Formats: sequence, structure tokens, C-alpha cells
Amino acid sequence: MELQDFSHVRAILEHYPPERRFLLAILQDIQKHYNYIPRASLEMVRDYLDVPLSKLYSMATFYKALSLKPKGKHVIKVCDGTACHIKSSQVIIDEIKKVLNIVPGTTTGDGKFSLETVNCLGSCAVSPVMVIDDRFYGRVAPSMVRDILAEYGRLENERA
Amino acid sequence: MSERDNRTVLVCCGPGCLSNHSLDVYEELKARISKTDIKVDVKTTIKATGCQGLCEKGPMLRIEPDDIFYTCVKVSDVPEIVEKTLLNRQVVERLLYHEPSRNKKVLSPKETRFYGKQMKLALRNVGEIDPFSIEDYIFRGGYKALEKVLSEFSPDEVISEIEKSGLRGRGGAGFPTGRKWRQCARMKDSPRYVICNGDEGDPGAFMDRCIMEGDPHSVIEGMAIGAYAVGSHEGFMYIRDEYFLAIRNMLHAIEQARERGFLGKNILGSDFDFDVQIVRGGGAFVCGESTALMASIEGKVGEPRAKYIRSVEKGLWGKPTVLNNVETWANIPVIINRGAEWFGSIGTEKSKGTKVFSLVGKVKNTGLIEVPMGMTLRDIIFDIGGGIAEGRKFKAVQTGGPSGGCIPESLIDIPVDFDSLDRVGSMMGSGGMIVMDDRTCMVDVARYYLKFLSEESCGKCVPCREGIRRMLEILNDICEGRGRPDDLETLAELGETVKEASLCGLGKSAPNPVLTTLRYFKGEYLAHVNDKTCPAGVCKNLTVYYIDEALCKGCGLCRKSCPSGAIEGQPRQPFAIDESKCIKCGSCMDACRFGAVKTRGRA
Amino acid sequence: MEIIIDGKKCEAQYGEYVLNVARRNGIQIPALCHYDALPGQATCRLCIVEVEEGGRKKVVTSCVFPVTGEMQVFTNSEKIQRMRKNIIRLLSARAPNNEFIKKLRQEYGLLPETRFSGDDKENCILCGLCVRACDETGISAISTVNRGIEKKVSTPFDEASEACIGCGACAFVCPTGAIKMLDENGIRHLWNKDFELVRCEKCGEYFATREHIEYMKKKYGEDKCCSFCEKCRKRIAGEKMAASYRK
Repeated sequence: MELQDFSHVRAILEHYPPERRFLLAILQDIQKHYNYIPRASLEMVRDYLDVPLSKLYSMATFYKALSLKPKGKHVIKVCDGTACHIKSSQVIIDEIKKVLNIVPGTTTGDGKFSLETVNCLGSCAVSPVMVIDDRFYGRVAPSMVRDILAEYGRLENERA
Repeated sequence: MSERDNRTVLVCCGPGCLSNHSLDVYEELKARISKTDIKVDVKTTIKATGCQGLCEKGPMLRIEPDDIFYTCVKVSDVPEIVEKTLLNRQVVERLLYHEPSRNKKVLSPKETRFYGKQMKLALRNVGEIDPFSIEDYIFRGGYKALEKVLSEFSPDEVISEIEKSGLRGRGGAGFPTGRKWRQCARMKDSPRYVICNGDEGDPGAFMDRCIMEGDPHSVIEGMAIGAYAVGSHEGFMYIRDEYFLAIRNMLHAIEQARERGFLGKNILGSDFDFDVQIVRGGGAFVCGESTALMASIEGKVGEPRAKYIRSVEKGLWGKPTVLNNVETWANIPVIINRGAEWFGSIGTEKSKGTKVFSLVGKVKNTGLIEVPMGMTLRDIIFDIGGGIAEGRKFKAVQTGGPSGGCIPESLIDIPVDFDSLDRVGSMMGSGGMIVMDDRTCMVDVARYYLKFLSEESCGKCVPCREGIRRMLEILNDICEGRGRPDDLETLAELGETVKEASLCGLGKSAPNPVLTTLRYFKGEYLAHVNDKTCPAGVCKNLTVYYIDEALCKGCGLCRKSCPSGAIEGQPRQPFAIDESKCIKCGSCMDACRFGAVKTRGRA
Repeated sequence: MEIIIDGKKCEAQYGEYVLNVARRNGIQIPALCHYDALPGQATCRLCIVEVEEGGRKKVVTSCVFPVTGEMQVFTNSEKIQRMRKNIIRLLSARAPNNEFIKKLRQEYGLLPETRFSGDDKENCILCGLCVRACDETGISAISTVNRGIEKKVSTPFDEASEACIGCGACAFVCPTGAIKMLDENGIRHLWNKDFELVRCEKCGEYFATREHIEYMKKKYGEDKCCSFCEKCRKRIAGEKMAASYRK
């Protein structure tokens, strides 16, 4: 069951004329507001734009900016652009995996962190880079990972 | 006091500096200056500008007209800058840039190799102006080209001018821009559309982002000129959603341009109408492909279609459409203002003008650069880029992103232009230039790009989807020590099929990173397959880290840097790595000052 | 106009697809995603050919490549053969047990795949014909989902779709028999949904789902024809015509 207030979806829809060309923008706005695309909102979009649900589902699974699953309170984005990759971003990802016990694309059991990899944040000069919510961390070394994550509260698998 | 005392501080707020918290520096400066009792006749303006280029040394700021530039500025440096430089015209020595080629600190950007060798056309205003100010843009000659075109040129003459300039599309393939416009203008159907591709999806590339953030009006002006030439009244900018600053600045610029009559009805009193709207990209690399991008604007999944009927004939909503990328559009006003002949005098015979690159990876001066076409890779990497970081050895440079290839040291003297890069199996692409050193594994690089493409392929056609998947499987095997002797042959053969038989440009160029590394670094592949070792020490399954006892001084830096507690030892005695705990991150190797941490193959 | 395919002169219309011209002239080019009534997928890429126009040779997909002028087409050059074999290899790696692909593999003399492993139960090659057919009927119950190597065809959330009417057009056009449609005891199972089948009022055979008939009625109006299977409908039409002649 999704116990959420969807009145904002209506507001988003009314912001756009009911034309197919605004579909992506509408879905992005919903994603931004709810941090994911609730299933019920897809049905509202279907009714508003008269686009089949299958096409909406197709869109929501095609574009990386859209997600059908709720994300964690803090979203960790580790850049795996080429510059970061050759400066060992994979090791950073591995370290976060170890600390939080999640793989990229998933959320911790307590809903606190989501881990994502992104393909270049344009900050290649300070690679490897990771971003938590809107805060940037440049030249990240694996030994820094635990301390950085701890800034966001106690870590689940940490011993007391 | 005279006018000369009006000074401007330009604080770089490009992506590199921003991630180094340059906005904090900007805010602190603003606060300090408003509080400081600066003499009334000295007016200091602070501007948050777009990328000034030398991202490696960010945050950076420049003081004009004194032509002073400071690098690596921290918030804590601000009081001193205000006190010494702004109030007392003294230089803060410590913040000056150290020019390696002359081994001294320099005051002006012009004295550096990094800036001295560049030529800025597309980036002419980036880092110089406040992107939020249309006055800044106009002050530097902005919208003059549009005015000129509307009052002096027929649409056909605009196209002829662009054709004559020799401008080729900066988005990758290098199709002649004028010819594209001509084809579109010839179509009878209407309406027609112009599109700006700002979906810059190549990892390791941020040129277009910097132009959109730092000089949004140049793109708007270019599009308006293009629209006039091909008879379009509606334009779309497809901008990556992650580039929220670019979107914000562009939205603001469009608003301003409308207010000033550079967009909208009867532009500058002519009978030409044109307006632009922004479409946010959905996060799909394939949408850099023009037909996929158009599908995305139409509100569909970004799947390309076969391009046997070109988009200049049937593009967006089946109508004639001209699509160019950000840098191409930004070049248009320059060509109109300074003339096709002048533009054509820059560059090589078949590649005219300049090209913007994001120079990143294992190079000293990472950053955003613009150089005349035809400059050699060596000049770019060793002069502008300052050579390889940490004194390591140059190994390869990757151009063209996931569609490009890796160019080895033996070819580093080739000129950088569309055709030379094509010839060596790479491509210009949109301008990512990633420098790799001996600690980069070329097989891993090839695998990296294929993994990227396996996620980013739209999955529509068989060769691309299944071919990439299987090539990736082989590369994963090779990197993990399961490579088979005939794998290299299979890779080359599948590569050919994917290249030739795929539906769109993504698939057609997807094998390039594999094919070029196979061509130039075959020995490294063979080491992985036959000897089960990774010479660069990157592929974890094929690498063992160890400490050379003869070289270890027992300083303990390696132990401090180790995130997994795998290093043990007593001070001033050789340390040792516990292989069972080692996660092979290379931190110890980076930390060691004596080169005592080494790798060897597992075999 | 005239074009030359494998050395044979063939009459062609401007804009006609090369594949169609070839087939009309008895030249076989393999294709899985091509269906005459639903042209333009261009996803399976088996129908690649080499085309020489104005002295330049290039590889094109014949099912969407239009004839626009003089050209020579090579449907079976060494290069095309080699690449087509690779495409069949890729298909067979994806769906190793599929009968259609096995047959293709044998036709092209390919050995069973050993380097790559695939899902034994996989039959879909993602040609997109089913989605296209579903869209053309105006239903759009299924769609492609995800992208890249994760792509698949499904109903929204992989659940029984509200929109699906069980018409079976998807299964009908599928070139590899990948869509499982099962009619048993008056029930049709398709895309995780069960449909009640309706008997033809004339012959008594099950012929369509209740939802399909409802949909047809809504679309084309209340017509008696909706109560008969296709065979009977044709027969009735024939009888009517015969009767009118007799008069």
C-alpha cells in the first residue's frame, strides 16, 4: 500500500498542457517531488495525457533519471566517469558497499542511504568524486569513506 | 582617483571549482568587501563566472584589469586578498600560479603555458562574464551577429557564410554544418525546428556544460541565427537534467533575451520570429544520438530510428530539423562577426576553427581548454596539460568518449583534427580527452566503456545489445583471469559486426575502445590471457600488492593510508602487506614516497 | 526504375524497400523482425546487405533501406555472410533452445555455441513486432521495458494488464514463438491474465476472448459479425454474395 498524498501530482499535471511532449518533464517533476515515481501517479498521468500505462512504464524504466522504487534519505552518487574510473572510483564503490552492505542501485534496509553510480559529474579535476545529497567530496580515498558516511549519522552495520 | 580603480574580481564557479567550494569563496569575498571600508572611489565588482579552465588549481579567481590570477583559493585566504590585493595593491605571492616550464610564479594567465597556447572562440566569454548578466554579454559584442544577420544577410547568405567557414559539427561526427543547414532550408515542409543538443553524456567530458553555464547567450544567439537561415521559428535545447546550473542559467538567459527582443516576435524590429524552450534530458546516453534525442523531446523512449531518411528532411515530429550541439551553436556568432574567411584561416585544411576539450585523467593541468584544430596531442598534453601527473609515464590518450579510441604514445604527434583521429581508429567526439599513465590498464579501460555502453545502449537492435553484452562478457573474463586464447579473435570479429550492422551511431562506434586497445595494446591483452597478469596492477584478480623490503624505510605512511588494515610493521623496519586483507585499492602505492609498494601478477 | 540485386535486374518503385524488391524477385534475404503489414522494425539486422551507390559500398538494413536511384545490391557477399553468421551466433547465444534460431544456425552451418551461455528458457529476441502489433490495434498493453542488455517486453509491472484484451496479435506476429498463449477449456492464458473464450455462434468453436469482442463492438459498432469466427464470417460473406448473384 502506498500511503501518500498525491495532491502534488495533480499540481504538477496542471502545470503542463495535456500533450505527450510534456510526458518526460512531468515524470521528472514527480520524481523530484517524491524522490521516485509512485505507481498511483503513473495512473494519474495516464488519465491526464491519455497515454497507455505500458508506455509510461516503458519511459519510467528507460530513463535513468526516473525510478519506480523509493530512494533513501541520503542519496550517495559515486562518479564512475572515465576520469574517476582511472583514478580508482571502483575501489570507492567497493568500500561503500562494504560499509553499508548495499550494491549500487539499492537502498539500505533502514532507508537511510541509497547508493548510485553516475557517469561523470563534470568534476574530473578533483576525481575521484562522490556526492551525498548535494554535497561534493573530491579526491576521495578509500580510507575517507567511513568518516564521510558517518557525517550522516550512525552506520547500520557499525558496532556500537 | 581615476577610472582605473574600478576593479573586478572574477571568481570561477565552473564545475571543478564549485566542487572545491568556490561559491563559499565568492560569498566570503562579497561579505568582506561590503563590510570593509574600501575607499569610496574604488568600486570593486565581484562576479561568479563560468569555468576559467584550470580546474586542477581551483578554486581560482582573477582580478581585472590588473591581470592577476590566484589559484587554490580557500575561504581563509579571502581576508588577505581583500586586505593586501584589493586595498593595498600587493600581491599574495602564495596564491600565484607556479609555472612549471619556467619554474617560477606568474602573475598573469598569459604567462602560463596552459593559457598561452590556447585560442578561445567558443569559450570566448566563458570565465570572463557573469552568465546571469546579458549586459556583460552585450558589452563583449553579444547579439551583434544576430543584428548583422537580420539587417544585412538573406537566409541564403547566412548559409553560404557558414558553408564557406568550413565549420563542422562539434558533436562528434563532424558533419559540415553549412551543408546540413542548406539541406534543411531546401525542404518544402514546415514548420521546421532547430535543436541544440546539450545532453553531453560522454563520461569525462564537460565542455558543453561549461558553455551553457558560463555563456548561455552565445548558444541562444547561434540558434537564432541558424533558425533565421533555415526558416525555423521554434527551437529546443535538450539539456542533461543533472546540469541544473546549466538549465538555470539558460532559463534565465532565455528570459532576458526575450525581454530585450532577441527572442520572440519581430526580433530586433525585423519580421523574423523565433523562440526557444528547454527540454530536460532523462539520463540516457543514447539520447545524444539525434533521432533518439528527437524521440525524447516528443515524450517517448529515446530509441533511435534508421537514418536512411535524414532528420533535415523528417526530424522532430516528422518535420525538417537541424540539430547541432552546444559548441557548434556557440561558434556561429563568431563566424558571422569575424567572417568566414577569418574562421577558415584557423585550423587545418579540412578541420577549421578551434575545438574545446576537457583535458582530464592523469595529466597535471586538468581543465577545460580550447585550441586551434591541428595542434598535436603532444602539445596539448605536455604543454597545455603540463605532462603526466606525479611524474609517471604517459601511456595513452582517449578521445571521443565511449565512441572513441585509445591513442598510444607512438601516435602522440598526430594533429588533432576530425580526419587524423578517425584514421587512427578514434574520433573527435564531443571533446573528452582522457590521459592515461602506466597505472592504467587498457583492458580495464575497454571493459569500462563496454560496461557503460551495455547500460546505455537502448537495446533495440541485436548487434548492439547482444554484441556489446558478449564482448563485455569476454572482457570481464579476461580481466578476472578466465580469458581464453581465442578470445581476442572473437572480440575483433564481434567488434566488426557490431560496428557495421548496428542501427545507430552508438552501436556503430561502440567497439572502438576495444578495437583500438586491441590494435595498440595487444601485448597487455596477451599478458592478461596467457600469463594471467595485469601489467598495470589494476585488475584485482591478476594483481598482488607487495612491499619491496629493500626500498621500504619503515615510515608507516602506507599503513595509515590502508583502509582495510592490511599493512603491518614496526617503525623503521620493512612493512608487509597481508594479502588476505588487501583490497588492492592502491592507496599504499600512492602514499609511499620511496616506490617500495609494487605489484606483481598472481601467477 | 531498375536496380541490380545479386547481378539480377529487378524492377523497383521509388521509395520501395530493398528487401521487398528482392523477395518479389525470388531472392531470399533472411529476416526475423520483418512483417509485411508492420514494416520498419529494423531490429534483428539479419537482412543486412551491401549496397553500392555512386561507387560507394555500404552495409544497410534492407528492410528499411529505400530505393531512390540506381544501385547494386549484394545480399550474400563474403562480408555479409560473415556478419550475418555473427548475428545468428548472437541470437543463438541469447536463445540457445529456440527452434527457429536453431534452424537458422544449421542453415548457416554454425556449430552449437560454446563460448557464451544463454538462458535455456529464453525465446524472445526483442524484435519488437509484438509491441508494434499491440500498438497498431490500439491497445498498447505491452511495451519494451528497461534498456540495454536488461531490455525485455512485458506488461506494466509484469502484472495482468487492465488494457490487454487477449486478442493474441502479439503471439501471432512473433517470429520465434516466444509469447506463450495457451487456450484450454474455454480459457485463454496470455501475459499473466486469463480470458474467457467465446464460441462462434455458427460453428461453435472458440474463436475470441470476451474482451476482444467487446473491444471490436466498441470500435466498429454493434455488428452481428462479432459473434462469428473468421472462417464462418468469410463463409457468411461468400453466401451473401452468392445469394445476391442468384437474384
